[in-house]
Amino acid sequence: MNRLIEIITSDKDSVRNTALETVCRDLSGSELLEACQSLDRFRRETTNLYQRVRALFFLSSLYQDYVPRSLPAASEGHIPFEGYTHLLERRFREAVDSFLDQQRDHGPDIATASALAVAYQKLGLQALANQVRRSVRTVAGNRWMFRLGHPAEHPLRMRRELLRPNATPSGYPILQETTAVRMDFSHSGWSDIFFLAMDYPEGARVLNASIDLGVRGRDEQPRPPIETYLRVIDRPVLRLVSIDLDCQAEIEQLPEVFDFARDYLGLLKAAVIATGLVPSGLESCEQPMAQVLEPMIGSGLGLEVVSKVNGIPKGSRLAVSTNLLGSLIALCMRATHQVSSLTGTLGERDRRTVAARCILGEWLGGSGGGWQDSGGIWPGIKLIRGEQTRAGDPEAGISRGRLLPTHEVWGDDDVSPAAREKLQRSLVLVHGGMAQNVGPILEMVTEKYLLRSTAEWRARQDAGRLLDEIMQSLREGDIKSVGSGTTRNFEGPLQTIIPWCTNYFTDQLIQRSRERFADDFWGFWMLGGMAGGGMGLIFDPARQEEAKDWLQAGMSEMKHDLETSLPFAMEPVVYDFRINDHGTWATLLGDGDARMPDAYYALMAPNWIRAEPRQLTPLVRRELESLSDQQAGGGLPERLRSQLLTRLLPQPVSRSDAEESLETLLDRNGFDPLQHEQIRADLRASRIGLSQNRLPPNTQIEDVREQDVTETRDGVDDSHRRLGEDAIRQGETAVVTLAAGAGSRWTEGAGVVKALHPFSRFAGRHRRFLEVHLAKTRQTNRRYDASTSHVFTTSYLTDEPVRRHLADVSNYGLDSPVLVSPGAAVGLRMIPMVRDLRFSWEETAQELLDEQQQKLRESLRSALVGWARSVGEAADYTDNLPLQCLHPVGHWYEMPNLLRNGTLNRLLNCQPNLKYLLLHNIDTLGADLDAGLLGLHIARDNCLSYEVVARRLEDRGGGLARIDGRTRLVEGLALPRESDEFKLRYYNSLTTWITIDRLLECFGLDRPQLADADAVDGAVRRFSQRLPTYITLKDVKKRWGHGHEDIFPVAQFEKLWGDMSALPDVRCGFFVVPLRRGQQLKQQSQLDSWLRDGSAGYVDQLCEW
Amino acid sequence: MNIRRAVITAAGPGQATLPLQQIVDGTGRQTTALEMIITETLSGGVDDLCIVVSPGQEAAFRQAAGSQSDRLTFLPQSDPRGYGDALFRAREFVGDDHFLHLVGDHLYLSRSEDRCVKQLVEIAHAEKCAVSGVQPTRERYLPYFGVVGGTPVRNRPNLYEVQSVVEKPTPTQAEQELTVSGLRSGHYLCLFGIHVLPPTVMDLLGDAMQETQPGESIPLSPILSRLAGQERYLALEVDGVRYDIGVQYGLLIAQLAVALKGSDRDRVLTDLVELLATQT
Repeated sequence: MNRLIEIITSDKDSVRNTALETVCRDLSGSELLEACQSLDRFRRETTNLYQRVRALFFLSSLYQDYVPRSLPAASEGHIPFEGYTHLLERRFREAVDSFLDQQRDHGPDIATASALAVAYQKLGLQALANQVRRSVRTVAGNRWMFRLGHPAEHPLRMRRELLRPNATPSGYPILQETTAVRMDFSHSGWSDIFFLAMDYPEGARVLNASIDLGVRGRDEQPRPPIETYLRVIDRPVLRLVSIDLDCQAEIEQLPEVFDFARDYLGLLKAAVIATGLVPSGLESCEQPMAQVLEPMIGSGLGLEVVSKVNGIPKGSRLAVSTNLLGSLIALCMRATHQVSSLTGTLGERDRRTVAARCILGEWLGGSGGGWQDSGGIWPGIKLIRGEQTRAGDPEAGISRGRLLPTHEVWGDDDVSPAAREKLQRSLVLVHGGMAQNVGPILEMVTEKYLLRSTAEWRARQDAGRLLDEIMQSLREGDIKSVGSGTTRNFEGPLQTIIPWCTNYFTDQLIQRSRERFADDFWGFWMLGGMAGGGMGLIFDPARQEEAKDWLQAGMSEMKHDLETSLPFAMEPVVYDFRINDHGTWATLLGDGDARMPDAYYALMAPNWIRAEPRQLTPLVRRELESLSDQQAGGGLPERLRSQLLTRLLPQPVSRSDAEESLETLLDRNGFDPLQHEQIRADLRASRIGLSQNRLPPNTQIEDVREQDVTETRDGVDDSHRRLGEDAIRQGETAVVTLAAGAGSRWTEGAGVVKALHPFSRFAGRHRRFLEVHLAKTRQTNRRYDASTSHVFTTSYLTDEPVRRHLADVSNYGLDSPVLVSPGAAVGLRMIPMVRDLRFSWEETAQELLDEQQQKLRESLRSALVGWARSVGEAADYTDNLPLQCLHPVGHWYEMPNLLRNGTLNRLLNCQPNLKYLLLHNIDTLGADLDAGLLGLHIARDNCLSYEVVARRLEDRGGGLARIDGRTRLVEGLALPRESDEFKLRYYNSLTTWITIDRLLECFGLDRPQLADADAVDGAVRRFSQRLPTYITLKDVKKRWGHGHEDIFPVAQFEKLWGDMSALPDVRCGFFVVPLRRGQQLKQQSQLDSWLRDGSAGYVDQLCEW
Repeated sequence: MNIRRAVITAAGPGQATLPLQQIVDGTGRQTTALEMIITETLSGGVDDLCIVVSPGQEAAFRQAAGSQSDRLTFLPQSDPRGYGDALFRAREFVGDDHFLHLVGDHLYLSRSEDRCVKQLVEIAHAEKCAVSGVQPTRERYLPYFGVVGGTPVRNRPNLYEVQSVVEKPTPTQAEQELTVSGLRSGHYLCLFGIHVLPPTVMDLLGDAMQETQPGESIPLSPILSRLAGQERYLALEVDGVRYDIGVQYGLLIAQLAVALKGSDRDRVLTDLVELLATQT
């Protein structure tokens, strides 16, 4: 039997836990392909889900990491478009088959290998997700909700206690649920991920505590941060109110309940569905809400569900969302007899039922919590453990572990009251201000677990041992040891498994804490999936207060220093906390006290006042009268009165500071209002737009021939190398790094300076993109005894931060000139045309998402169309921070900017021998001043020599082609058909060798004219008209509330550097370079494989730190 | 085992006059629901019947019972405390023997030659234990019935060992606790309204009366659940249909069912078809 299959199928732990690398590292190319074939056969034949999944992850890793290494350097190929389409539409099996057919017909190559790696990985993840979904649906107590087909069949009934009218303004009793959040001591290396816990239940252990919270300086004392309310109302609708998100809706039709992205009430809707109030089975039922409510509550009556999170920001890593969901679910289940107690705490059986529904709700809502996240439902400190599957379980025969874990609540005998108190007086909980997506980390953890990579697997065992140690320390009341354990857990196993769970900010925070508090700093405590947001730091109780003050000030200061380079979503906060000893708790507010919280009235009352009185129901009128009576009697709280007035009275229309600064910014950054109006008019008249970006359909597009490119992957001639070395030594070269971008894909639109992002550790500490590039120039200088200038081109977004940073670090000690070339053009974003939105969603290939996420996406899209129409198509986009409203106008402008802003002139003055520039993107980390390539460029006498790389699946957005017979680079958005791109073997790395004088000649300039600003401006303007203008849609983040973010697609225009190759008078060459030199880091999710496949090591050896 | 006595409860809120409704029986004769229930009860071979009624209803019930009225004992339920209390009023009437119990707001139609009550009594005699009639029912009706959880008796189709009885469970609880293997998904064994109960049930009811606060209602299902915990207790899937005449259109549906099973079937069917054809 194939050794890999033996590992997968073995019952022996020692065999099953063998790392893939130990078997594969010495295999030859043909042996690897043979192993892949056997594994592929096995995964098709096996009926065991987890064995199939492991085989799929093995295959993915083989094609990602091992097969490419066995291929010749000059390997390239085509990815079949058919397979790519299958991939996008989630037909992963068919995609694999298509790619395998390609491999069989044309032999292995780097393109097909990359496609197979992705397809196998996605097939594995899909199989796992399907399994969890099936388990969630088949848990006893959840199934009936999927069977129900018509409102008339609704089997739930409201408790009588809630249906008794009373004399309060509310009219009916209010059921209130207060719920804690959960704080992990350790999750044993993310062992709470469903996939992992269900395959490795013996290793799935989490120790967590339910806690009450208060924001230091704002709240008097900690309290359960989550409050939810339910009551019967006198209108047959479902009224959902989220006080914290300032949002409410009255749902009159059933389909609206399933429209998650319509508003901010997705979590409440998920709770209503997961509790069966509106069961999933009714999803496609086009009926009025009243039909569901009548059998459940009574004729003419409706239901109101209200959520309130007491100002705890998003990204707290305390599972606020899951516990809010848990709270809402407990509330709704109490109200409908589905758990036994209407009030007070819940019994263990009921808590488990609620937890099962939480998992269902999370799946419905498209989020992905771990199985321990609803821990706030349980009281106090508890050990949560994975459970082995037993006969009769829905998971039997499918997974080794059950979906739901068991909770062992620790009493005072386990952790003494004194120890609990000491913990509370030692631990400081903070929110560092970063709200990051933890999803990619969870996928990485799953993959690494399935591969059993040696270091990571050892780290997982270590994490388990550390949990034992932490538990023992806690039992002994030794909080200092607890701190030692959590710190070692963070710095050891967690970072071994996922180096990206920490970041520069967190490392700095720990280092400064150590420096200031020395032995009184007892340790760091990572909360949830990653650090940077919610975190814990443990101090000697005697210094806890001092530490809180220091952390509050220190984190704010650090955030101020780092906010241009790291994605902070909010101002850091320090919490006060207390262990919650009763878990979720319900109270029935009856005759005397049936009243919603003040914030509810602040949100709702203004709408009631604005409505026609006859439209209000008797109970709403009664509530309004009660508010009026309170006001008359002086009993209305001051805060509520002020909030009501603010919402009711029209706010003075004044030009805000933000608006003014937008104008200032536009003015200062070369905004051209005439061009802007022309673009708006063209957009509205359909002269430009996404569909107009494309070349005519009859354009002939072919892949390049061998003679169209220069192959350099096997090396270049020594003569060329010597030519290049001489040029470097004689000061004929400089490097231009494009650093104008905010890395919208890198931080998902957070608007930080990508060049300054400390993205990965090199030589023991986090380094920024900018520092890496300077380190390469330092090595070049040292090697050739040269003094190569380095230019960073910037934009309105990045100029000031880049300059400040370079000054702060003294150019990282580089002894040659470092210049900054500021942007000289900027655009103002526009609301997209609905036509372009639809084109983008319907005419370009889009990845089909998981079933539930796809529903969310479609719902969101219809909301976005509504937004574009209501705000006005092609209107200026100004409803955001000024900097988020501006846009860079494309990288074509970077070189002309160098001319216009005088940087090139200065360069030539200080480095008169300068003849050649190496221009590259900030994220092309492997690009360096390679003497061989430079010599080749000189020898070919090109104006521009573009570097291209063999295409892999992720390299989308155009490539090198013969367009109507001319070899040139073409942007993906200009290709007439999606499939055209798949004919092209080479992808543009954007790295370009430039001969300065030839370029100036193309612009109609020479060196002396660079000092004449008018001549330069005129030349650039004339030249720019020869290049196409593309309309693109960019996702922009808008932040609001407590760390919440919305993403809007906005329209902007750009001109692109690759189009220079389309101009007949610009002599261009195309060098095929090794992948490691040309690959770009576009998304943080690439980092792990970048580190693993040796790319990081390659970059490191180019640098001198 | 001697089953000589039967108890019919008819004093529930809103049920006091249900058995008095006029109905046409399978032979085309005008009768009352009560008379049909009594006829059904007597098919089990009992001699004496007692009906628990609301105070003041005895005369109306006696009249509605028609020719069977002489065999009836009436027990008025003053200060009612629910179904369990109603049954408990008959503790002296049933004495130390097993007894038959029916609810007064249901009509029963058998699909076999034997009436529903007879089917149940025969099983009780054969197995010498308590037996409740049950019917697999879709989960949408859970809010209306007590539901039995149990396991099928080996080699005895339609017979189950009762393990628990829950009154009007939610579908969540039903799925977790009351799923019975062999039934279609989403179906549960709901009580049919006919039981053969042992005298010990009266002891359990007495205990419950003691344990419960004055004025608090005593349902029967928890008592039956306790009974299952202390002695053999079976559930029989009755080969018949029960019609709840207490729900909206309940009497109409019951009447149609009786008519379509009776001698005037063709006439009623013809009228129904004509009714359907002429309705727009």
